[in-house]
Amino acid sequence: MAARNGKSGILEKWRIDEKPVKIDKWDGAAVKNSLDDAAKKVLLEKYGYVENFNLVDGRLIICTVSCLFAIVALIWDYLHPFPESKPVLACCVVSYFIMMGILTLYTTYKEKNIFLVAHQRDPAGMDPDHIWQLSSSLKRFDDKYTLRVSFTDGKTKRTRDKEDTQSVAVFFDENGTLVMDQFEKCVSKLHDTLTSDKKTK
Amino acid sequence: MLSLDFLDDVRRMNKRQLYYQVLNFGMIVSSALMIWKGLMVVTGSESPIVVVLSGSMEPAFHRGDLLFLTNRAEDPIRVGEIVVFRIEGREIPIVHRVLKIHEKFVPYIGIVTILMNDYPKFKYAVLCMLGLFVLVHRE
Repeated sequence: MAARNGKSGILEKWRIDEKPVKIDKWDGAAVKNSLDDAAKKVLLEKYGYVENFNLVDGRLIICTVSCLFAIVALIWDYLHPFPESKPVLACCVVSYFIMMGILTLYTTYKEKNIFLVAHQRDPAGMDPDHIWQLSSSLKRFDDKYTLRVSFTDGKTKRTRDKEDTQSVAVFFDENGTLVMDQFEKCVSKLHDTLTSDKKTK
Repeated sequence: MLSLDFLDDVRRMNKRQLYYQVLNFGMIVSSALMIWKGLMVVTGSESPIVVVLSGSMEPAFHRGDLLFLTNRAEDPIRVGEIVVFRIEGREIPIVHRVLKIHEKFVPYIGIVTILMNDYPKFKYAVLCMLGLFVLVHRE
């Protein structure tokens, strides 16, 4: 009993979900990532949607397969030194670069900056889920962050989206701490606009 | 617990993101590995790019120079070309210029002379055996 409490105690100290997010405000990638994560949090926790991992899983699978090709090439070359392993090596190298091509195509055309796909379950359980998609962009050395929320109706399969561009300075204070309230307001506004549009249409 | 701020990002990640971080690292290593193996296949040599370690080839090559090697089976080795070879058991390849090619030779006969040189006892043993043989054998 004491051991289990000790273990979960360390795990809790490791996870810092409740600590306010603090990042280096000059690091563009960190800023975008923290804003994306916060938007995810709002949609998943406040509105209770269920995250769909298919897009992310697709990318992970492509990367894993590429690494497997590399590992096979490494082990084969180690077991059968160079001249005999030529055909296998050639095969693995070509396959690896083909996988790289597939990965690039996937991230450019299928993922398209989308970082969250969430399902809004119908409370009655009768209609298919509505799908919310979040995507964002933040250009290098620029401070304008664009968040796009897109809503696909489960029944009619029509998609509506709305985007909002703001300076990141609105959401972060001088130390680089994310002011969650401001950001939550912004995300909720986008969300509610889309929801009300749905009701009026 | 130590508060290591740079680990904060990692602590906030869920399982998928952590796996992606590991994969990212794997992809970087794999890309380098695949480029190296690709070069090996294309040039046909075991180490297509080597660094010159000693100054024995000056003024042609200096220490720290990079050499790009090919090993096509159809190219013959001619006098004046520079070859890189590795002796079995020694890790480091050796760079030298070809001075003379021995076209027709009988291999391994010289081994006996070398053996006799290295092991004098062997030399005496061979001489004794030869002497005995001549004495005993009827002609």
